[in-house]
Amino acid sequence: MTTISSIMDGVVFVGRAGNVVLLNSAAEDLLGVRALVAAGKPLDAIEGGGDLLQTLIADQRRTAKGKEFARTVEVHHSQHDLLYVKCTTRFAQDHRGEPCGVITLLRDVTADFKTDQLKNQYLSIVAHELRTPLTGIKTFSTMLAKGSLGKLDDRQRRACESIREQSVRLEHQIDKLINLGNLESADYGQDREVVTVAEFSTGLLLPFEQPARDRRITLTFRADTTEACLFADRADLRRACQALVENAVKFARDGGTVEVRIERTADGGLRFGVADDGIGIDPRYQRRIFEKFFQVEDPLTRHHGGAGLGLFVARGIVEAHGSRIEVSSQLGRGADFSFMLPLHRPTAEAAAAGAAGSPQERVSCKEPS
Amino acid sequence: MQRTVLIIEDEKLIIVSTQMVLEAAGFRVESATNGEDGIGKAKAQAPDLILLDIMMPGIDGWETLTRLKRDPATAGIPVVIFTAREHSRGHQKSTEMGAADYFRKPFEPDELIELVEKHVAQKT
Repeated sequence: MTTISSIMDGVVFVGRAGNVVLLNSAAEDLLGVRALVAAGKPLDAIEGGGDLLQTLIADQRRTAKGKEFARTVEVHHSQHDLLYVKCTTRFAQDHRGEPCGVITLLRDVTADFKTDQLKNQYLSIVAHELRTPLTGIKTFSTMLAKGSLGKLDDRQRRACESIREQSVRLEHQIDKLINLGNLESADYGQDREVVTVAEFSTGLLLPFEQPARDRRITLTFRADTTEACLFADRADLRRACQALVENAVKFARDGGTVEVRIERTADGGLRFGVADDGIGIDPRYQRRIFEKFFQVEDPLTRHHGGAGLGLFVARGIVEAHGSRIEVSSQLGRGADFSFMLPLHRPTAEAAAAGAAGSPQERVSCKEPS
Repeated sequence: MQRTVLIIEDEKLIIVSTQMVLEAAGFRVESATNGEDGIGKAKAQAPDLILLDIMMPGIDGWETLTRLKRDPATAGIPVVIFTAREHSRGHQKSTEMGAADYFRKPFEPDELIELVEKHVAQKT
């Protein structure tokens, strides 16, 4: 008991009967409620608590058995300006594993939250500042290379094409930088729209063409459809696909191949796949490569650059779209990464497909609001 | 008749490059460097489409969009949001607020032309 009362996090334990059994001093401070007053009462009978107490009541009610419920809330505290408190609620079990009440931990995460906010704001401003001049470089070089601003000779055109290619590479790097700010967020796949294969795949490989050429890697792209539609977050989906391509180019053999393919599947989906003929992945690491910052090689002696975030981000995005990335690989025999998403059909067609008794053709994603 | 696109954007460079792309595709391009001025030009010139930046000094793009959609004189002009910054659920937000589309900078010149053609055609 002494241990619990002296820890920094707030702890509120409500017993099986629905009354407060324990409320430590950190919880007293955050909730603005005295333990002596609260003990033995149901949470909603305690007077004088503020917003945080209401959050606690709501969270304890909605917490399902066996699951943890966590969220961060803004609290207007009487003695501090504004606090951000992370509330984690779950069922507590007794020594037989039977539920014996509900426990909530309250952690003051104001400092982390503010740092995070500041970091994201900063990254967002940096991105804006970098993308603006890049827009000019990309637009003018594209127009020059296409001959829209007058005819160029071969060398001049190649130079303009190179400027354009480098601007696309830079753009890709900026997108990756922005991603650093969104690593922890559950925000992937939120901005969904109906998007065609052509719309999300145009220029997909452009940032990797030069790195591939430099190592004589043949980078090929094959799509058996351009019109098929997905209901997806276009920017995130591109990010996930590009992470897989970047990874494949990085680990392909010099003079080897990387094959990118988009194809319809027999069951009404769309499969995106990337295969390389490189060093392959040891079966021991085939799940771990999706962990944040995970690298198979020792970071000090390794040959391949990168922060170990690409596959982690790709997995987050694909999972947010309700799918998962499959890997098949043998050490020394290359790797094949792929994932599948359901095709989007306009509502009327989808209903007709459903009525026609073809369950595989039904669309399982939500309509845009 | 030549179709007109109004760009509301505080960065001169973006105006110049967008203008070059759209003029090459046969559009007439007008520009305004802030929201207030943009709303005025939208009313006076009734363009076929508006390209609207979000991050601008003074009233920002979202507020400009709200005012354009509230005024019957400009409510019917398709507005395409044109942004270089990450906006949480930006695409959904712009659709909810009445924008016709959402477009990220840097852009592919061909995609910009295609997008503008599409919305101008839908309007007429």
